[in-house]
Amino acid sequence: MQLDLKKGSRPRILATATLVIMAVFIVRLFYLQIIRHDYYVSEAKKEQLKQLVIPAQRGEIYAMDGGTPVKMVLNETVYTVFADPKVVDKAQDVIDLVHKVAGGNARPNLSTLLNQKESRYQILATKVTRKQAELMKNAHLKGLGFQQESQRVYPEGQLAAQTLGFVNAEGKGQYGIEEALDDHLTGTDGLLQSVTDVSNVPLTIGDNNINQPAKNGQNVIMTVDRNIQAYTEKALADGLKKSHASNGSVMVMDPQSGKVVAMANAPTFNPAEYNKVQDAAAFNNATISAPYEPGSDVKTLTMATGLDKGVVAPDSTYNNTDSIKIEDRTISNATKGQTGNITFQHALNYSLNTGFVTVAERLGDGQNITLGARNTMYDYFHNKFGLGELTGIELANESKGTVIPPTDADGGAVRYSNMAFGQGLDVTMVQVCAAFSTILNGGTYYKPTVLGGTMSDDGGTFTPAAPKPARQQVVSAATSDKIRVMIHDARSAFYAGKDKPGYYIGGKTGTSQTIENGHYVDNQTVGTYLGFGGDSNSSGGPKYVIMVQVSGKGMNLAGNTDAMPIFTDISN
Amino acid sequence: MSYQRTTQFSSRRAGNWNRNQNTTRFASPVKLGPVTHTVLVALMITVLGLIYLTQATRATSYDYEAQKIDSKIADLTTRKTDLEVENARLTALENVQNSSVAKAMTHPTQTDYVQE
Repeated sequence: MQLDLKKGSRPRILATATLVIMAVFIVRLFYLQIIRHDYYVSEAKKEQLKQLVIPAQRGEIYAMDGGTPVKMVLNETVYTVFADPKVVDKAQDVIDLVHKVAGGNARPNLSTLLNQKESRYQILATKVTRKQAELMKNAHLKGLGFQQESQRVYPEGQLAAQTLGFVNAEGKGQYGIEEALDDHLTGTDGLLQSVTDVSNVPLTIGDNNINQPAKNGQNVIMTVDRNIQAYTEKALADGLKKSHASNGSVMVMDPQSGKVVAMANAPTFNPAEYNKVQDAAAFNNATISAPYEPGSDVKTLTMATGLDKGVVAPDSTYNNTDSIKIEDRTISNATKGQTGNITFQHALNYSLNTGFVTVAERLGDGQNITLGARNTMYDYFHNKFGLGELTGIELANESKGTVIPPTDADGGAVRYSNMAFGQGLDVTMVQVCAAFSTILNGGTYYKPTVLGGTMSDDGGTFTPAAPKPARQQVVSAATSDKIRVMIHDARSAFYAGKDKPGYYIGGKTGTSQTIENGHYVDNQTVGTYLGFGGDSNSSGGPKYVIMVQVSGKGMNLAGNTDAMPIFTDISN
Repeated sequence: MSYQRTTQFSSRRAGNWNRNQNTTRFASPVKLGPVTHTVLVALMITVLGLIYLTQATRATSYDYEAQKIDSKIADLTTRKTDLEVENARLTALENVQNSSVAKAMTHPTQTDYVQE
């Protein structure tokens, strides 16, 4: 049948109108479905597809307990309790419940918060444990919600606080291992992208689903032994109490591997309550980040240098007149009266500055600290012992210190005469401990480390890290044997009888002047003690090196009276 | 040449009767028109659709099961972590030192050292 519509007839007009409307629809559909295709697909996906972040667990930190790793820093799931004031219908019940269950974690003004009906989100309590959260959930009160989060837990409290550091509110590691190994500890968040139902349950339908599991952060096993650490902290606290010093640091190192088994600092803090610390200086690990003039402790290194170069021996002598002139400066001994021809052992026992300036002179032409002598000292102190260089210990904020090279305008004979007895250079305790370990252990320099090994992902298998010598034959074995006996004798000369039988212990005191506004001051000294110990001298050298430092603003503290008792307490 | 169209199937062989050859002739008594065919196709599509929906629903029900298991795993993991934290707190040095067992300990009256 053929429709014959007359021009201007109503059916024709209707047909034309229908065609126009159809055309409009087609054009509109073309616009929506073809031109705006990508936009509407993405809008639809926004509604249908949910992206959920699967948070990665931060790696845990272990310390050693003898030969077994124990957890020092863990993660705990805690909850933030919030309410939607518009939905809450029994405000008083909610307030009573939160107060009863959350206790001190509840915010103080709950009724005010719940009265803010225009707000849809009010936090009522933070850091609520899982058990507390379950108790609240079981009350089935309307408008109450729970947000899960992870927080760091420090079951040992303040123990090794500066070594551990802490994790700030943004989840970033600050200070210590937490900052230095933040990338290792953090891990990578996973991603779950899926079509979900109204309850956000992921469904397998859809072809754009992604299920990328989270990669948890790596666990870290420290070399720090929690028992030695705890005793060291206690000994330091007791020692500071006796000497009335305000600041102190102790480092205990295994000289056969460079592993740090304890590092204590005072004042200290609790990493779980880092936000309550008034003075941020408490966060600093002074053993690695506070360079200072080491004083007489360095005489052991000067002596080792002289022994190794063959210019002095323990029983070789020099003429001590209690002072010695270097260019236009006169250097005097702190201890007077040991004059005449005395041995270098005697000079070490009494910590005579003149003896060690003489060693520096004998490294040159015997009368002067020549460029050759200075080059030798710099080679040993800086290149071999690592003074004035970052050790690379796996802790944040390590300082380099300063050892002026002989090529520098300030690196003249006067500077190097001072360096021979521990002034005119800035070093950190970890540098001194590593250098001291080197001269005691037969001449191997181990990079100081706080990493004790690796742990399998399931936390079941611990593989200890093998010691990694950084430099060998730094000094000869013969030099090492000699200096060990000299340091033992230096301690025995004055402190015999105090050490327990069966131990072979040696040590050297140090009392350093401090510099204020570029000048040495008389009313403020830092007391140090650097020593070693072990069951005997013949079984492969010492088992530990301990360095103690005590200081205080405007206080004259001495190595023998203020630092040595702390060493003796720990080493015995 | 004239050609007569029939509604029944008729083999060309039927005209040539040979020995031992099939001679069955099929003729359906039911006649299906185009509307019936359309309805049948629509029904088949509907059945297929229902089968698809059933399978999809079953897959979704597995999703809910999987979600329940995932939640249980997460809950148990949290409980395990809590127990580890509790264990670490209870075995912390300070707790051990303050324990009744440790407080009851006394210092030895005499210490001897083995000499090698």
